[in-house]
This record gives sequence, C-alpha cells and structure tokens, in this order.
Amino acid sequence: MTTDANKVSKTAGYSTHISKQFNDELEQIRTELLAMGGIVERQVHQSVDALLAGDLKMAEQALAIDTQTNAMELLIDERCTSIIARRQPAASDLRLIISISKAVVDLERMGDEAVRICKQTIELNINGGSHGFQEVRHIANLVRNMVKDVLTAFARGDIEQAYKVAKGDRAVDQEYRSAMRTLVSLMMEDPRTISSCLNVIWVLRSLERIGDHSRNMAEHIIYLVSGKNVRHQSIKDMKSTVEQSI
Amino acid sequence: MSKVTTASIDLSSIIKGQENLKFAGQEIKIHTRDLKVFYGDKEALHGITMDIPKHRVTAFIGPSGCGKSTLLRCFNRMNDLVDNCSISGEIILDNRNIYAKDIEVAELRRRVGMVFQKPNPFPKTVYENVAYGLRIQGVKKKRVIDESVEWALKSAALWDEVKDRLHDSALGLSGGQQQRLVIARTIAVRPDVLLLDEPASALDPISTLKIEELIHQLKKDFTIIIVTHNMQQAARVSDYTAFMYMGDLIEFGVTDTLFTNPDKKQTEDYITGRFG
Repeated sequence: MTTDANKVSKTAGYSTHISKQFNDELEQIRTELLAMGGIVERQVHQSVDALLAGDLKMAEQALAIDTQTNAMELLIDERCTSIIARRQPAASDLRLIISISKAVVDLERMGDEAVRICKQTIELNINGGSHGFQEVRHIANLVRNMVKDVLTAFARGDIEQAYKVAKGDRAVDQEYRSAMRTLVSLMMEDPRTISSCLNVIWVLRSLERIGDHSRNMAEHIIYLVSGKNVRHQSIKDMKSTVEQSI
Repeated sequence: MSKVTTASIDLSSIIKGQENLKFAGQEIKIHTRDLKVFYGDKEALHGITMDIPKHRVTAFIGPSGCGKSTLLRCFNRMNDLVDNCSISGEIILDNRNIYAKDIEVAELRRRVGMVFQKPNPFPKTVYENVAYGLRIQGVKKKRVIDESVEWALKSAALWDEVKDRLHDSALGLSGGQQQRLVIARTIAVRPDVLLLDEPASALDPISTLKIEELIHQLKKDFTIIIVTHNMQQAARVSDYTAFMYMGDLIEFGVTDTLFTNPDKKQTEDYITGRFG
C-alpha cells in the first residue's frame, strides 16, 4: 500500500478536466454503459424467471429487450470512436474508453446468452419436463449476483468488488460441471428425458458464459482503475495485483 | 500450393515488455546529477537527476515555465549566454562533465546541436547553410563539403525537394522545408546529441508529420531530446518522456507507460487536461 499523496488517485472522477465538454462526454458514456448494464441485468433476470416459471410471455419480453441491448452497443461504440478521434484521451481517460469499449462487447454477449435461454424456454415448453431446474436456479442466483456486483463495481470504481466477481466465476464453473454430471446421469437413467435435459444443458451453458463475461468485465474494471492488465492471470496473481493497487 | 510460414514471435520479449523495465539494457548518453539553475536569486531548476539513453528520443513535457527549455539549454551550455544565470550540479556527457573548466564550449555545441521553434536559416543559399558549420570547422575540400551537404540533406529528408535549387536562397523555402534545412545544418557537423526545442510548433500538420518522421529516422544515429507543448507529439515520437512541473522532474519513464498509466497524480492531471 502506498501513502504517497502524489500517487494517482484510484477514485478520481471524470469531472475535473479543464474542458467541461470533455467531462460531460466521459460522464455520458459512463452513464450509458451503466444504463446498458441495467438493461442486460433485467434481460438475464427475466429470461431465467421465464424459464423457471414456464412463462412464455415473459420469455418473449426478454427476447424483445435484445434490440435495445444491440442498439446501446452501437451507440456506445460510436461514442468511444468519436472521443478517441476528437480528444485523444490519455492515462485514466484512455483506460476508461478502452474498458468501456470492451465492456459493451461483454454486455452485448450476455444479452445474446439471455436470448438463448429464452429460446430454450420456448423449446422446453414444447418438449416438457423440468429436470435440472434446481441446478439452473442455483447457478442463476450466482450469476445474477455476479452481474449486479460487477455493474456496482464499475459504477464505484471498486476493484476489490471486481476481484470478488472474478473469483466468484470459479464457483459458477464448479457448479456448472456438477450440474452437467447430474444431468448426464439422469439422461443415462431415463433416455426419455434426453430432449428436455439437452435444453437445460444449453441453459446452463449460457449461464456459465454469462459468468465468464462478468469475469471479463471485472478484469476491465481492474485495468481501468489500476492500469494493470490482469487477463490470463490466475486468481492468486490477480489478488496480489489488486492488493498492490489499493 | 505455397507453404504457409509462421511468423516467428519472440514471446520472451513480449513478456519482458510488460514489466516496464525502465532503462534495462540501455546505454546512457547523458547523466544529469542534482542540476540546479538560478536566474539571479530565483531557482529555476531544483536539482534534476536523470539519465538520457543513447540513440533514443527523450521528450520533455510540462506547462509553460516548468523549466523544460531551461533544462534543454543546459545540455549545450546555452544558458552561459544568459546574464546572471548560474548552474550547480553535473551533466556528464560520455563520462565528462560538460561544466568542467577545461571544456571547450564551441566543440561541445558541435557535439550537441540545437534546433529552435522558429526556423532560422541564414540568408544564404541552401547549400551554404548546410556547408556553414563545416567551413567554420576548417573543412576546405569541395568534394568533402559536397558529400556532407548531400548526406545531411538526405538525412533531413530534404534532398529530393532542394537538389535542383541548392544555390537558391534558403529564405525561399517553405517553413517546413526551412526547419528541415536547419536540422540538416545541425547534423552536417555530425553531432552526437540533437536538442529540439519545439521544432514543429510553428509548422503546419503535414510539415509537422515530416519532422516527426525525420526524428524517428535520425534516432538511429543521434541521441535526441525534444521539448514539446504538444503531448500527442511527445507520445508519438519519443521512447521516454519526462514530465516537469515548476522546476522539478515529477516523472520520467517509458512513454507508453507514462501516457497510459502514469505513476504520479500531477502527471495524470497534466496529460489528461486537468490542469496546465
């Protein structure tokens, strides 16, 4: 830990530039990313709720939200390009733009996974069966918390919370493997469940991918705040990077 | 079917690059030790200690009045020409203190050439401008001078534009051409170090790019130090960047790191446009 007063503040806001217009542009893009995060969070919630409740109407609604997610991705991408072209941002401003332009890709893909869950919900309604729903509920709770926490970590520039999200992805991966074993056993015991179990396996796969994208976003946040690129690092190394940066 | 060859990528150098090894493996051309500059009673530089790597571009950035031009002028003792300017500390160029009593200043300035913000060609022909330094050095053979002029103009990326008008007045050249001519004049005497004091700030964007490209070409033969107000220019042309503020060296490091993840808050505030 450093006590040097001249070290770069890790919680410096984006409203202290000489150019007020630049402040506004950075604040706007941050706000828009959080708004997109809110939309994706709702999409993930609704897709899981629709599956567990067998509510086709809700699944259709969650599917429809994807248009908004895609539009937000394009909008934020365009803003990032424009800021780079006109402002040539440096240091934390540059890292903000880079992190946001990567985070929108992860958010959009989370939205795509939610769409896949909705499509499996519709198919399950035709195939019938609710095997593996307990596992879905359990993993979905973990993943939904990851999405919520990573968005909070971004809003606050909180790298400790971002690290917890990245660490949490391991638990999701373990639960996913365990759920797969359960479903494979079930299919072997009763081949009549294969069709519906496959639908649930795709759902679990999508949830696991949403967890991976949350971890990616957590890594972008650590880069944004600390300037250290922690991608491809072990959780242990990531922890030490985060501790050095606090 | 042609065989696909895989480009060989040295992963170890990539991994090494991530560690921001500041001057690892770099030969140091100039050591500056606790350099203080006073204008009368006023201390303009408060004890600067830094190493300038050989055959690299080092940029000085900072707000007006921070001391970057003062520091630059110390490297070829231009401050000697300023009344009531006094200096303490050491500047070691190739193992010799340039402020030692037995240093010949004219020879030092041949070894450490300087280019200023405004192009200042002499009111002579293009050829005579470049030949001037050589003649002062006592070179008389026309063939030697011709070769040196051609080499200097080619090195300054100006030869193709002026080879048919070598004996026209240099004042007829455009601003960008004049600045490259001044650089050619400076390098004609084969210095070791080039000091560039905002060399492109009076030029249009295309001429600026030509000067920047030239800096990139010249660094294989010369150690270059550039003072610039244009931070993007420092980011584009330099290998190392020093940020100065109110006579202090705040941060000095690899340009890529300084512009993406500076260590000091003052550096961050300056390069992101939060004060200045």
